[in-house]
This record gives sequence, structure tokens and C-alpha cells, in this order.
Amino acid sequence: MKRASFRSASVIVAAAMVAGAIITGLLPGYWTYLATSVLISAVALQSIGLVAGRTGMIALCQMSFAGVGAWTVGYLNVGGAPGNLPVWIFIGGLAAVPFGVAIGLPALRLRGINLAIVTLGFATAFDAILASITFPGQTKFIAVPRPEIFDSDGGYFIFVLIFYVFLAVGLEFLIRTRLGAIWLAVRHSERAAAAHGISIPGAKLSAFAISAFIAGISGGLLAGYLGTLVADNFNMMQSLALFAVSTMTGAQFAEGALIGGILAVAFPEILRRLNLGQDIGNVLFAIGATQALSAGESMSETLRRKVRGWRKAAPAPLDAGARIAPPAAVPLRHGTALSTRGLTVRYGAVVALNHVDLAVPEGAVSGLIGPNGAGKSTLIDAVAGFLHSYSGSVELAGDAVDDQPAHVRARNGIRRTWQTTRIAPELTVGAYVRLAGGEMSDAEVQAILNWIECPHPDTLVASVDAGTRRLLDVAGVVAARPKVVLLDEPAAGQSYEETIKLGRHIAEIPKLFGCAVLLVEHDMDLVRAACSEITVLDFGRVIAAGAPAVVLEDPRVRKAYLGIEEGNAAA
Amino acid sequence: MSRMVVSELRVDRVHLPVVREVSLSVESGQISVLLGANGAGKTTLLEGLSGVIPVAGGKIEVDGHEIQRQRPGARVGAGLAHVEQGRTVFRQLTTNENLRAGAASASDVKKAYELFPELLPRRDVLAGLLSGGEQQMLVIARALAGRPKILLIDEMSAGLAPTIVRRLMTTVRKLADQGLAVVLVEQFAVLALAVGNRAYVLRRGKIVYDGACAELRDAPDKLHQLYLGSGS
Amino acid sequence: MNGLLTSAVAGLTAGGAYGLLGVCAVFTYRLVAVVNFTSAAIGTAGTFVLVVLNEAGIPLFPAVLCGLVAGVIAGVAIGLVMTKWFAESNASTKAAVTVALLVGIVAIGLRLTGGQHPHHFPDLFSGSAMRLAGVELTISSLLTIGLGVAFTILADVLLSRTRMGLHLRALSERPMAAELIGVPVQFLSILVWGITGAVTAFSLMIIAPQRSPDFMSLSLLVVPALAAALIGLFRSFWMTLIGGILIGVVEGMTSVIGGLNQYRGAVPFLIILAVMLWLQRGARWDEAR
Repeated sequence: MKRASFRSASVIVAAAMVAGAIITGLLPGYWTYLATSVLISAVALQSIGLVAGRTGMIALCQMSFAGVGAWTVGYLNVGGAPGNLPVWIFIGGLAAVPFGVAIGLPALRLRGINLAIVTLGFATAFDAILASITFPGQTKFIAVPRPEIFDSDGGYFIFVLIFYVFLAVGLEFLIRTRLGAIWLAVRHSERAAAAHGISIPGAKLSAFAISAFIAGISGGLLAGYLGTLVADNFNMMQSLALFAVSTMTGAQFAEGALIGGILAVAFPEILRRLNLGQDIGNVLFAIGATQALSAGESMSETLRRKVRGWRKAAPAPLDAGARIAPPAAVPLRHGTALSTRGLTVRYGAVVALNHVDLAVPEGAVSGLIGPNGAGKSTLIDAVAGFLHSYSGSVELAGDAVDDQPAHVRARNGIRRTWQTTRIAPELTVGAYVRLAGGEMSDAEVQAILNWIECPHPDTLVASVDAGTRRLLDVAGVVAARPKVVLLDEPAAGQSYEETIKLGRHIAEIPKLFGCAVLLVEHDMDLVRAACSEITVLDFGRVIAAGAPAVVLEDPRVRKAYLGIEEGNAAA
Repeated sequence: MSRMVVSELRVDRVHLPVVREVSLSVESGQISVLLGANGAGKTTLLEGLSGVIPVAGGKIEVDGHEIQRQRPGARVGAGLAHVEQGRTVFRQLTTNENLRAGAASASDVKKAYELFPELLPRRDVLAGLLSGGEQQMLVIARALAGRPKILLIDEMSAGLAPTIVRRLMTTVRKLADQGLAVVLVEQFAVLALAVGNRAYVLRRGKIVYDGACAELRDAPDKLHQLYLGSGS
Repeated sequence: MNGLLTSAVAGLTAGGAYGLLGVCAVFTYRLVAVVNFTSAAIGTAGTFVLVVLNEAGIPLFPAVLCGLVAGVIAGVAIGLVMTKWFAESNASTKAAVTVALLVGIVAIGLRLTGGQHPHHFPDLFSGSAMRLAGVELTISSLLTIGLGVAFTILADVLLSRTRMGLHLRALSERPMAAELIGVPVQFLSILVWGITGAVTAFSLMIIAPQRSPDFMSLSLLVVPALAAALIGLFRSFWMTLIGGILIGVVEGMTSVIGGLNQYRGAVPFLIILAVMLWLQRGARWDEAR
């Protein structure tokens, strides 16, 4: 993790030093001036890359946030505030944050599209307001002064470059933290993220606030670059164009933001030299963004995929893993880990669960079986907090959890897997385990992965096959060491041999991780191998419970599975 | 009498060939069973036939007309119906509306209820609220309401209780006996072989067995070998 | 008081147009599952065709007709992009595509219409229809609201009563499954885009003379339109229509309250924020979506 961050950071710093030397030392002044503009655009693009590319939200008011930053810098300058430009720029970035929070807060809780509408609305409103309040110093031509040593065009380029490098390096570290993984997880599946105990509004809001901060910085940099500003520098078309460019180039990556910055500056420049309208550049960005969206891959993602192809990552050393011991056994707890009382779920006229009483004892694997449509997945959804409403109650170690939303239940010790795996493919295997399990040492991560026979922690999830991803799902939930693990058909799509092996692993979970397990499964061999007791659901009711050997011979169970009267089964 | 002949069909997914040089045929009154392990390319083959994903090479002929370049909608016009896996009911529409959406006339809707009387008491219930078995019946009935000549069914039994699967298999046999041509994709070989006429086994996108269902049914060793390869 | 009422009524024309645009947005969202940020731009394209033809001396009626046809063509063009390449994409990707397309359309539009170069926008329906409690109701305000009501009723009836509506609802839920049972999905999707193209073009023609008449400002009328759609939760045509009228009326009232007029552009945003807060009243965050 850390190593990868340092590696990227040093690449960025080295590249910046080389670029800085070449551009200030060798290129004519006008080019330096343009290069500064490229970097400022790149900063703005990084801000939108974080929220749109990384967290998957459509934000259409980044330039308004930049406007807030720039206005603040202008205000501090005209008001003769203490400090100098770098300080003011930083304050400008901070000033944008409350705006981001105020807009994001009401929107983030609801459907994703709403954020696009709110942000576009804000951009229009900001345009209207900015047009009438004007920039501080705009009418009196009071320019924002640059710091003395950075006053020349070359100097200011270096000044902006320093900001850019700071932000880029900061982001490289940030995206490799658990928060970075959370953003990707939220983009991929909000439900799956919540099942890991992640607060979705918190995750989105943090991305939105940080993004507003970076956008505010870019506005401040622009204030120092141009000296005096007008409302048009930040109008909503700029925000929309920025969104198009970031979608096209993939501004969530350092290189994507830079390429985007270059395009955003180069296109108008080329068009101007050709005596063509500069706005035609936007047409190209629109086409590029549409193309990227239809391919499902931005320019940087294509680039990264190609580079990965050339390098052909060396296979992870397997023998190193084999020496690592499996997780140490933990003392078993006693009593009831999870219980439901009178759990009832209705979908319209259909009763999916009908007064279900279920107890999952500590220190054991319990099975939940039943024909399709019996209500098994509904039960998991209800217990884990993924249903809008149910009646009855769910108790975790004796405490009712009914008013807790899904992510709180997950934090308190109810973890679940899904019938189809929902792991963000951009994560590495190790980052996923940490995302699910919280902070833990490399040795711990490695031990869990070895135990369930998953690939090396540095492997990208995208390159892991579907069967192994299902194992990774299990690795994730147990890594959190919750009180209860709910496994929803973990063997679906696995071969017979893999299923048997998985059964052995599941049987070990209580001993190694201290979790009680509720296993929902169709494969009776797996159930017999792993479970010490089972509950049978049929049409939303518990029809039998007890030891597998007894329950599976129960005539009521045989009837539910094999059927005697044909007609009843379909009702 | 209708007949679909597929020759040298190739279907790609994300530029990788998933179905390679597959040739098969089915005609009225027959059930062709398509077997194979997970990932063998069965679903992709059906999707290529119905046009859900484009075909990369080869020919699909229905009664002598080539349809491989047509859109899915046009292939429906040629007599094809595809029951996709995963019970793709319109969840926000009622049972009856689901049937009407696929039917050319009211009599087709009536016939659907005759075939699956279980659906009649559920006619005004939103399809999203039906049980798995009912949804499977509904998608089959909906496909039939368009009066197809050739019916492609994907993983009909997935996740259903054995009773319902047997009920559906019997119905499919009856439909074939009434003159429908059926291509049945199944993971559970035994059930399908019991009702089918001709069997194809797909492995890694290629047909590795083409013969009578009865032959495979009577030779479980052979089936095992075809599924797991000659080594085992 | 009377002044406030007068200005509120003055906002009715805009409100009716917002409502109509909003209903189109809901129509598009419900049937082809796209939150369409280009809708007003499509209408603007149609309006500029009317303006250019009218400036070239072509009489109003044929010019309007050509403008509507242009709206249909623009709508269908966007629809083709969406159905050809993004039929299987999720709602958020589709919305992102329309945002990107909006950037391109506005750039082309500004280029072709000469940026801020002034144009003469013919007032389609000038004059007053009636006086109500001493306040003048203009023909255009009555017409836009009437049109909004008519379109809302028509959309409702179409969806719930007709076979085409049944097909449209099936299409909106599972396009591929609908196509596989013989629903003419491409034709229907394009039809939806064409219809909304014509209706938005007409709404824009009515409202354009009251606005700063450049391509960009008009295209951005999508903001009040989507705000209206949000009030209808992208589901209810009636609530959307009422929401649109409300936004127009509130905007109109800002013109008499001293110093607020210049902030008129912020009204839709404030209403969006209010709706969002209202939608979440007491509701705990549920991850069930």
C-alpha cells in the first residue's frame, strides 16, 4: 500500500521537476504562460475526477466552487487581509467546502441523478449571483498580487506546479487509504458498501467536500494567474465542459487530469491560431466524453490497461504465502449470536416471511435451506437491514437492532455476502480485505487470504476469476471478525471440488474468527459438510429445525423439496 | 413445419470468442437439448441466435432465410422466441399486462392461461411479486403468446424446486409435440435428456457431442466424460 | 399586494413552459429511462430555426412548423445516440452522456447563431386574453398552461390505456426483454424522443421572447424543467406541471421585491434544495436502494 503510494508520489515529483526545468528553462514565455493554464485546469480536473470518476457522482458545479475560491482570494486581497497569496488560496479552498457540504447534504441521500440536478441548479444560481455582486476589485481593477519570487510567468508556473504536485501527491496517498477504497466501493455498489459498515452519505460527502476544496484552490490559482477576474471565468458552461473533459480523459488519475488540462488549453489555442471558433473545442470534448462513456473506459484507463499488458505483471510469489500460518484460533463464545422473533415481511399481497423465529448459536455454523422462493434471501436482507420495513424483531447477542440502518448493523457485527459478487474491480485483493475488515497488518491480510486460497494481496480484483471473487467475498466478511456472518449461496457457480473445499473453510470460521455463521445454500453436500444445525424455510415459514441428519429426513422437508402434490408447489 | 439450421456460428464477448464454429439444427416437434458446464458458452450461443448480442461469423437460417444480421425484433418476426435466463418478467406490469405485451390478440392471452392455469388467479398481481415458479411460467407463456415457431429457453430450472421443474419440462414436451421447435439450454442434464430428442454438448464454446438424447441418457459414463473431459 | 399578484401572474407563461418542459423530462425519464439534460437545447435548436426563417421573411406559421420539425429532428438525433450506444447503460451513465452532448450542442448552437448576436424573436401569441380581478392574463400564459394540461392528460391516457402505452411501459423496464417479445422498441424509443423534441421546441418558442435570447441561456432552461420534474419525483406528470408553474410564479414575484430581481436565476436552485429537504423529512437513510 504505502510502497505503491511512495512510488507514484516519487514519479509525480520527478516528472514535475523535469517538466518545470524544461518549461521554465527552454520554452518561450508564452508557452510557459500556457503551461500554467494547463496546470490550473489540471487542478480543477482533479477535483472533478475525485467526485465523478472515483466516486461515480455527476457533479456539474466545480467551476462555481472554483469561483468561490477565487472570490475569497479577491476579497482577502481587496480587504488587505494578512498573509499572502498561498495563504489566501488555501483559505479560498476551505471557503468552498461549506458550499460543497450544503449542496451535497440534501442530494447525497437520494438517487444519484439528483446530485446532477442540484449541482447544475447551483451553477446557474451562482452565475446569477456572481453577475450581480461582481468580483472584489473587478470594477476598480485591483489585481491579485503574486508573491514576489513567483511574480514572473516562469515563476508563477513554478508556484502553480508546487500546488499541483502537493495535491497530486496528496491524492495518490489518499486513494490508497481505506477512504479511497470506500469511494470506489460506493461507486460500484452502494448496497455492498453499506454491508461493509460504510456510511454512504459520509463517503459521498467526504469526496464532495474534498473535491470542493481542490476546486476552490484551482480558483485561487486562477485569481493569481489572471490578476482580475470576471464572472464568465466560472460560468456553468465551464463546469459542464470540465465534466466532459474529465469524463473523456479520466481525471481521477493524475495523468488523466494532466492530459485533460493539456487538451482544455491546447484545443482553444490551436483553433484560435487556425482562426476557428474556440468553442468548437467543446464539440470535440462532447464527442470524446460520449465515446469514453460508450466504451466504458476513459483515456487514462485505456492507457493503464495497455501499460499493464506490456508489462505482464510478474506472477505473485506463491511459496512466500505458503509459509504464513493460518489465522490463530480464538476462544469460542457461547449463547445465541443472532435471533429473530416473529419476523414478517410482506411484498404487497405476498407474505415473503411469516413469523419466522430463528436462532443462530455462537461458535457454530447454522444452515438455512429451503426451496427457491422460500424467503431465504429476504431473511438475510431483513436481518442485515436492507429492507424498507418488516415486522417482528432482530436481536444481535440479545440487543434489538431494528432501528439501525444497514451500515450500523454491519459495524455492530452483522456482516453478509451477496448472491452475485459486488467487489469493485479497481481494488486490489488486499485493499478489498482491508475495506471489508478495517485496518489490519499485512501479515493478517496475507494469513486470511492464504487460509481461503485467494491470490496475492497486490493482485487486481479485475484480473481475478469469478469463482475466486466469491472466496474473496467470504474472506472480506470474516476479516471484519463480526459476531455473525450471513453467507448467501457462496457456492453458486463453483465446481463440485471447489464447493467441498469451501465447505471445509466455512466450517472453520467460528473457530478461527469467532463468528457465528448462517449459511444459505442449495447444495446439500455443502450444507451437510459445514453445518451443525439447519433451519428449513418453505413459503416464508419455518417448517423444521435441528441436526442436519434428522431434518433432511423429515417428511415435511422431503415434501417441500421433492413435492408430492404438483399444484401446491407453484402457489 | 419449421426448421432452424445454424452453421459455423461464432459469437464473441468482449472480443473473445465464446462460441466457436457451432453447427446445430432443430425442427418442429423436436427438442434440441444444449448441455455443458458453467461457462461453456450455452447462454452466449442462445443470445447469438436471438440477436441479444451480435454474431461474429457463420449463418443462422430459419426456413431457408438467413437471419444472423437482423435485429432481435426482426428475428421475432421470423418466428424466434427467446426465454432469457433469470426470469425477465416486467416487474411493474401485472401478469395479464405481461402477457398482453407479448400477445398479438386476446385469444393468445387466453391460450396462455390454458397452458398455465396457475397464472389465472394471479392475473392482476404485479409480476415482480410472483414466486419464482410463477415468474418462469409467465416468461414462457409470454414468449408463446407471440406464436413463435422456434422457442429458445435458457436455464429454465435454475433455482426452482424439482416439482416445478418437472411440471415445466412436461409442458415443454407437450409444446414440442404440438409442433413447436425447442432449443433447451440446461445445466441439469438428466432432466433435460428425459424430454429431449437431440442433444448437443458444448465445451469451451465448441460442440463436442451431437447425437440422440437417448444415447446420452443410457450412457452416464459418456456424459460424465463429455462434461469433465477424457482424463477423468 | 396587487403588484405582487400582477407579477405572480406575469410568471405564469414561464411557469407553464417550465411545467411543459418538466412533463417532457418525466415522459423521457419514465419511458426511455434518460434524465435528459439536452431537452431545452433541443427545443432551442427548433426555436432558432423559427427565428432564422422568420428573419429571412418566411411567414410565421410555416416558420413555426419548420421549427417544430427541427425540434423533432434534433430530438430523434439525440435519441439515436442514446438507443444505439447506451441502451444497456445505467441511468447515471445516460445522464452523463446527455450532459456531454449538451456541451457539444451549445457550442455548435452558439457558433451557428453568432453567440450573443441579437435576434428578433417573434411573439407567437401576444395580447391579453382576459382580465381577472384587475390582473391581465396573457394569451401565451393561458396557452402554455393549457398545453401543459393537455399534454399531461394525453401522456397519462397513452400510458395507462393504450397498447402502445403498455409496450412503452414494458420497454421502459426491460428494453431487451421487450424487444424479444416483438415490441418495436427502436421505433417506440425514437417516437418518444421525437414527440418530446416537438413539445420542447414549442415550449421554447413561447418562452424565448421573454428571455435573454442566446442559445446558451435558452438551453439552460433545462434547470427549471428538471427542478419541476423533481417536484413530480420524475413520476407524476401532474405534480411536475404544478411544480413548473410554481417555479415560474415564484420567479415572477421576485421581480417586485426590491433588489431580488437580479437573483431570479437562483430560484430554481432554491426550490430544488427545498424539495430535496422535504423529500427527506424524517426519513432515515436507507441503503435498501
